[in-house]
Amino acid sequence: MSNLNLSGKEILRFLNTHYEFVHSAFAAGKPHFMIDSDKFMRLLHDYNARNETKISLYRLTSEVKFCRQLSTGEYKLNRNYIPFLEYLFNDFVLNLPETLKNRYQAVFNHFNSLKDETSAYRIILLTQEIINVIEDFLSDIEGQTQRLLRDTEALKVNVGNHSAFSTRIQRANFWIDEYIIPLNAILDKDRADSIVNMIIRLQQYSNEKRLLSDNYELKLEFEKLYACAVNAKSELDRTLSKLTRELLPLLERIKSDSIILNGFYHFVENIDDPKAYIAELPHIVRRTKSSVTSKSFAAEAEFYIDQFSYLTPEILFSESEENIEWLPDAGYFKEQLLKEEGVKDFYKWCLTSLEEQTDTITLSKFFTLTNMLLDEDLVVEYKDEKRQEIKLADATLLMPKIKVYAKLSK
Amino acid sequence: MQSYPSEHREIVSALVDGRFVIYPNPTFVSLKLQEEEYREFFMQSYGYELVIDSEIAYLTSTEGTEKRTRDFVLFLALLCRELDYSGKNFRDAIEAGTFDMAETEQMLKQSSKWEVLEKTSVADFNEFISIWHRKNVLFRAEGQFRFTKAVKIFFDFAVNVANAKLKEVQAA
Repeated sequence: MSNLNLSGKEILRFLNTHYEFVHSAFAAGKPHFMIDSDKFMRLLHDYNARNETKISLYRLTSEVKFCRQLSTGEYKLNRNYIPFLEYLFNDFVLNLPETLKNRYQAVFNHFNSLKDETSAYRIILLTQEIINVIEDFLSDIEGQTQRLLRDTEALKVNVGNHSAFSTRIQRANFWIDEYIIPLNAILDKDRADSIVNMIIRLQQYSNEKRLLSDNYELKLEFEKLYACAVNAKSELDRTLSKLTRELLPLLERIKSDSIILNGFYHFVENIDDPKAYIAELPHIVRRTKSSVTSKSFAAEAEFYIDQFSYLTPEILFSESEENIEWLPDAGYFKEQLLKEEGVKDFYKWCLTSLEEQTDTITLSKFFTLTNMLLDEDLVVEYKDEKRQEIKLADATLLMPKIKVYAKLSK
Repeated sequence: MQSYPSEHREIVSALVDGRFVIYPNPTFVSLKLQEEEYREFFMQSYGYELVIDSEIAYLTSTEGTEKRTRDFVLFLALLCRELDYSGKNFRDAIEAGTFDMAETEQMLKQSSKWEVLEKTSVADFNEFISIWHRKNVLFRAEGQFRFTKAVKIFFDFAVNVANAKLKEVQAA
């Protein structure tokens, strides 16, 4: 912080006294740390109205140089304060992984130059530079990971309405695609161009140099570089494990949970309109009392029982009348029999005569006819032991062949 | 079917009763071992389709289905919603937690959506829990209940709705 009118102690005192204002300006300015003129003046005014110790604009911009006004009117926070404030408030702005990549590129370039450098003075400069950039990189990546973890935790709660579910899904997707996957790539040990790989190479190189170098001063420098590389390696491992073992599953979980809640939301909203559920509800079978009957039997039985449930007793009476089966007129058929002047196969004849009159021949119809045999004016002759099949609608009979004719006296 | 496992009667009566058969119950294992034969058996005997994955089995049919499924999904949806609103991880709670019946009923009654639930079979909460206990979707004991693994088919339903809705929005 050059060109300061105040000493470091005074600046720290200012930050301490007006901690609340500094925090609100920091929060209002994120992520570019630029604040509209109106908004900035309101912040200042509100703060001064609430507090006994006031802040003047002059003190802010010219003495502590906390911010300055741009020609377009906005107030911009002093870049020198920002990393310190981010650290103070544990509130880091997410950098794109590209930014991290650039930093890593710088380490890579310095490392390459270091390997070819012969001047001891330059070697010391380069190792110091590498250590600085690696430290920056580590503090960046640590801050970013913390930030992602905290935002992810926050994403998990605070959902008040449906649009928030969609937002959660979108945000989780965005973080996974834009931050975590690229960060993973930077940190992936299996990729030749990853930072972890370069740190490993740097570690090997500095280890060798710290032992073999003949210059005592250089030995010390390589010792520091080696320590820095070892530390970087372990910190990156820790960050990577946070990213892949905590953050990624957490985000995936938030995504899938939000999808479920979103689906339920639409279902509940359209509860009275099954067509609008879009997807089909699971078709679980209904409990059936008896497990031995088939579904179609149950349906038929239900149908059968249903017809009684709304009949009055009178209708039941007429129903029983209807149920009486049509029976053939025995007298008519006897006349036919007599006309034939004797039938050789009586049962067969009964069947054929009935068939002429009706389609379905039941046992009762058939027996009404065969009962003629009992009439006294008919003679029955039975010789053959063999039986033949007579197929009726509801039974199959095995009947002997019998001869029937009218008594002679008649 | 060549031979029936010793749990055959249990398998058939449970599934035809509309119950879920869930691993590690021995009936599930027998069923899984003769998965194809049973698929055929239920289709031929009852016209039901057997759905079986690595953990749960149940029968589905396009006719004679459980009308109260809708009520159950509604209950689950609102329970998840309330759990989520109160900052809890609803899936952990549903998949692994135990619910006090009186507390849960109270929580649902305080929900702004109770008016929807009130008109369904959930209104008689005690009976509702019993019905789904019989189906093996819930497990009830001493004033408490928990969900069985069968609950995942209802989560799948929600995922299907959300995805279909997403497609609809994207097409529009």
